[in-house]
Amino acid sequence: MNASPVKSDPVITEIVRNGVIAITEEMKSNLMRTAYNMIIYEALDFTVGLFTPKGETISIGLGLPMFIRGMAETIRAKLEHYGADNIRPGDILLTNDAYITGSHLNHLTFTQPIFLDDELIGFACCMAHWPDIGGTLDGITTDIYSEGLQLPIVKYQREGVVNEEIVDIIKANVRLPDRAMGDLRAQLTAIGTGERRYLELVERYGKDQVAASISDIMDQSERAARARTLSIPDGVYEAESYMDDDGVSISDRIPIKVRVIVEGDEMTVDLSDVAAQVQGFYNSGITTGHACSQVAFKCITSPTDYPINDGSFRNLNAIVPPGRVISAVKPAPMRWWMTFPMTIVDTVFKALTPAIPERTIAGHHADLVIGMLNGINPKTNEFYIAFIGPTGGGWGAKQSQDGVSATVCINDGDTHNSPAEQLEAKYPLLIENYNLREDSGGPGEFRGGLGCENTVQARADLMLNAQVERMHCKPWGLNGGMEAAGNTVVLRADGTWKEDYPNAKLLTARIREGDAFAVRSGGGGGFGDPRRRPAETVADDVRQGYVSVESAERDYGVVCNAAGILDAAATEKARSGV
Amino acid sequence: MASNDEAAGRVRLAADIGGTFTDIAAFNPSTGRLHFGKTLSTPDALIDGIATGAAKADTTFSDADIFLHGSTVAINTMLERTGARTALLITEGFRDIYEIGRVNRPDAYNLFFQKHEPLVERALRFEVHERLFAEGEVYKPLDEDHVRSTCQRLRAEGVDAVAILLLHCYANPAHELRVREIVEEELPNAFVSTSHELSQEYREFERCSTVVANAYIGPRVESYIGGINDRIRADGFDGSFLVVQSTGGLYDGEQAQRQCIRMLESGPAAGVIGTQALCDALGMQNAIAFDMGGTTAKAGVIHHGEALTTGSALIGGYERALPIQIAMMDIFEVGTGGGSIARIADEGGLRVGPQSAGAQPGPACHGQGGTEPTVTDANVLLGRLSPDRFLGGEMELDVGAAEAAIADKVGSPLGLGVVEAAQGILRIAVTAMSHAVKAVTTERGLDAGDFAMVAYGGAGPLHACNIAREMGIRKLVIPRSPGHFSAFGMLFSDLRYDYVRSRFMRLADADFADIEAVYAELEAEGLAEIEKASVNPERVVIARGADMRYVGQEHAVTVDLSPDLFEKKDRAGIKERFDAVHDLRYGTCAPQERSEIVSLRVTVTGMLEKPSLEKIEQGVATPPPAAHTGNRSVRFGGDALETATWNRMTLAAGNRIDGPALIEEHASTTVLHPGDTCEVDAFGNLVISIGGPAS
Repeated sequence: MNASPVKSDPVITEIVRNGVIAITEEMKSNLMRTAYNMIIYEALDFTVGLFTPKGETISIGLGLPMFIRGMAETIRAKLEHYGADNIRPGDILLTNDAYITGSHLNHLTFTQPIFLDDELIGFACCMAHWPDIGGTLDGITTDIYSEGLQLPIVKYQREGVVNEEIVDIIKANVRLPDRAMGDLRAQLTAIGTGERRYLELVERYGKDQVAASISDIMDQSERAARARTLSIPDGVYEAESYMDDDGVSISDRIPIKVRVIVEGDEMTVDLSDVAAQVQGFYNSGITTGHACSQVAFKCITSPTDYPINDGSFRNLNAIVPPGRVISAVKPAPMRWWMTFPMTIVDTVFKALTPAIPERTIAGHHADLVIGMLNGINPKTNEFYIAFIGPTGGGWGAKQSQDGVSATVCINDGDTHNSPAEQLEAKYPLLIENYNLREDSGGPGEFRGGLGCENTVQARADLMLNAQVERMHCKPWGLNGGMEAAGNTVVLRADGTWKEDYPNAKLLTARIREGDAFAVRSGGGGGFGDPRRRPAETVADDVRQGYVSVESAERDYGVVCNAAGILDAAATEKARSGV
Repeated sequence: MASNDEAAGRVRLAADIGGTFTDIAAFNPSTGRLHFGKTLSTPDALIDGIATGAAKADTTFSDADIFLHGSTVAINTMLERTGARTALLITEGFRDIYEIGRVNRPDAYNLFFQKHEPLVERALRFEVHERLFAEGEVYKPLDEDHVRSTCQRLRAEGVDAVAILLLHCYANPAHELRVREIVEEELPNAFVSTSHELSQEYREFERCSTVVANAYIGPRVESYIGGINDRIRADGFDGSFLVVQSTGGLYDGEQAQRQCIRMLESGPAAGVIGTQALCDALGMQNAIAFDMGGTTAKAGVIHHGEALTTGSALIGGYERALPIQIAMMDIFEVGTGGGSIARIADEGGLRVGPQSAGAQPGPACHGQGGTEPTVTDANVLLGRLSPDRFLGGEMELDVGAAEAAIADKVGSPLGLGVVEAAQGILRIAVTAMSHAVKAVTTERGLDAGDFAMVAYGGAGPLHACNIAREMGIRKLVIPRSPGHFSAFGMLFSDLRYDYVRSRFMRLADADFADIEAVYAELEAEGLAEIEKASVNPERVVIARGADMRYVGQEHAVTVDLSPDLFEKKDRAGIKERFDAVHDLRYGTCAPQERSEIVSLRVTVTGMLEKPSLEKIEQGVATPPPAAHTGNRSVRFGGDALETATWNRMTLAAGNRIDGPALIEEHASTTVLHPGDTCEVDAFGNLVISIGGPAS
């Protein structure tokens, strides 16, 4: 934002700061509570926000942390497409262009320009995930055209008049048109709320004063980000990891290499050596490539500063050449866009660990670990699309803290799983168990969090698609901490479990009545040498069932029984023997 | 001392125990007078505090025929984690659901985030071999022998309380009931709680958290309530001992000993009931109940004469909260109070709260070692509090300390003068509190401008005129004794029993006979409770509601439904009500869309006779000269204005005071801004019309 003619006032700046956070929170809660599909109302797979007339982020209500950049880029694309002069009061702009949002076609992004009299003073925007946007239900895709309806940038509403032809096009292309229209209405509620409340704020404090305050908030965020970057020792930091495969060329590892350069109060994240775009649907657009850097950078420099705004990223440079797996170009398939970027973010933390071990974190399970289901519900004879998860898995340990168990991966934030009682009332399913996996957390002085197992029995035939990653590239430990269990998906047919799959991608698997599948999320890596973990703490982990007697002895050098009663002499011997 | 000649003449006594103070309100029907008393809460012997407070309110237990009680004992036991050694018995396969929770991570970029911490460690969570389908049919029969062998382990572990959560118990409670019987046989001294007794609503994690919390606080609350009961009986009390629930409704002390979790938020809820009572007396339909204390400000709503309630709440900060799925007063809280600290954040912005100076060291002006500037310090510096009349003069406020703290910690870093800085702190605090008011009004589709605001709590009257201006509220009521308002509210509570049962059905093909059967069952339960209660209500009112949503939605809204809609099987009428509620709340509805019922709700209320409000002495428009205690310079906006100070206790009904003015009483000061006018009503309430420009 340009220097404003009005002098900012620290008191009004704080009032505006609280105000814009409250507005995006209200947008979020109105969307959540009116939405029709679980991916919005439980998974919170959406993001709402307020933006300047140039498309800079003022405040984002999460939603989806990895979508930190998607809406701003979409607004800028819309501005460029129409030109600011051709955006009019009463317009509502729409697109699901995957290469603009950087994600997949399910992300319908609505933007409402906010006008004070005839002057454009900002935008309210809402991206939300629709459960179906057409396209194939049969497993992996290899181009965008098989993934469903593509809506370029269009005016859903022109000066107050809805373009019903667009509505008809959408309805003709999706499998659940009623749900889609319900979600569409919820999104309009969210942006309408944003517009109304932002205008109230502007009317209360004056347009120029609010603009000056927003400029101030961004400058404050920049100062904080620079100060915290300055505290990282200068240097070039590198790390590597890999993805299991792209779902097409099974077992062909996909290399991830990141390079982080810290120089004074500036940071550069260079993703040039991340693998090229792949044949299967794990690609994402360049917006997401930039988002990878932004998410990692925010976690390190301003994790609890709100509102989330563009000022925080002025000292971040991201190098993302086109054609990488996180900067894919048309017609790359994008349906499962969210998985690879999480591992890239984790790899940035790994790279920075030698510099700032007290601020980074060991690897986490890095996948939503969900099972997508479809079938006919015998109770209603209706076609349904449902999903199990996000299962929640283990998070990495830190230099001073154990990792957290059973928590959603970094792509998602305030995302909820679905109650078994809800799933079973809605769909022909029986959840057999949903529990923590013993020994799934990486051993360490600080132990990684545990993953979960969720076993689902079909009460009527259904089709499962599970596109889970990181079975082989297990969540890593740091500074002597050990790796955790990876993610897996397994099937049970006629009472017999089959577990020897080459990856965790079970596509178009038919599950018959009485058969079952289980999704198992990985843990988080450990931090520091497990033999430095206090023996009493390890023994208590055993008593609670987080760690087995065997792992306690093998990995931690702690000898105890299942009740957690320590054998002090044996433990001392085991630990001194290393 | 009050007479105890006839039952009609006996005292109704209310005691609200908070963290710092115990407040007593007593109504004597033979004199028509209200008495108040306040003492420090004595943690080791809370009952002594009640007795002392009662004496200050000029009464004793033996004078009373009804003793009403609200307490923070339940919430404190939960928050301070001082409850019983508790075990959880849960459906096979779901041992970890209480720890897994909803897997959400609201603090999305914080790598050091923490989850909720269960009240029961994993080693004390045990599975029960059984399983029901969602429809309530048995998939796997209950293995009773296994429950018995688990009980042996519970004994060995020295467990004092047992929570039981079985999936789909709202559709069929048989397994929960049988497990309970077995546990009670095997562990006769344990406090045992089943989930369906507290909530018959789906969502296993939330219901689990509710039943565990009940068991966890159970033994302590049970003995606390029992201790009070024994003591008041020993002191000659022979009436009804009733406890305030989080809905503001009452239940018997005996029930409070089983369903302890229902009294979690009794104090704040009673304040909203007090507001409702004032609405009745003053003929107001809509009011915001605004309560501001030392660390937080809370807002609740009276709409069309009814206090708005909600079906669940989160206890503790959102990121690490434990959910409680029972009916509660719908109260929104923000971390802004008199003790909230103003500071400059890392990136240079000015913040107020949520950190609080608390009672120790307290605001800088208290002179007890506090050096951080607080909202109270800003008020002192701006002249809004008289340094020599705080707490009736018991504590002299140190203006110099307030000024130094504000200058050092806020003014200098921002390059602001100390007055400007103090005004800024006050203004930020006021807008933050306005968000609480917005949360319960505008965010519910209600226009705050249509509401009066009733402001209480020690700091409520001090800030009420500012907040009213911010929100476009034109009418403000400062009740008599704003510092005792929760205890006052208790005097006006009714017996209340809330029930909910999840029942999934589409409205279009809902079976009205089935609905009627569920309602009848829930209503019968409520009527039986009222029958058992130790007090006889004047009449019983039954209210029905349903949680409804459009087919495909998850979040349901609660729709109040009159019984005749069911009698007439009026699907269209029910749908219309739902559409209207959805539209009010979210600004959209879809009349053409199908809807479904998720849960059925019943509230059975036993209306108790209400005390009549005591009238104060009638005066004329001009206040008595003795009430005018002086003049002082007070800052309003940029101007320092000569402002009259008044002693509230000597004001008479009909007195009129124009702003600017300070109306002072023992623990509160009401600030009138220029343009505001205040009239003392017949009951001693300050009724303020907000005038003049926005602050």
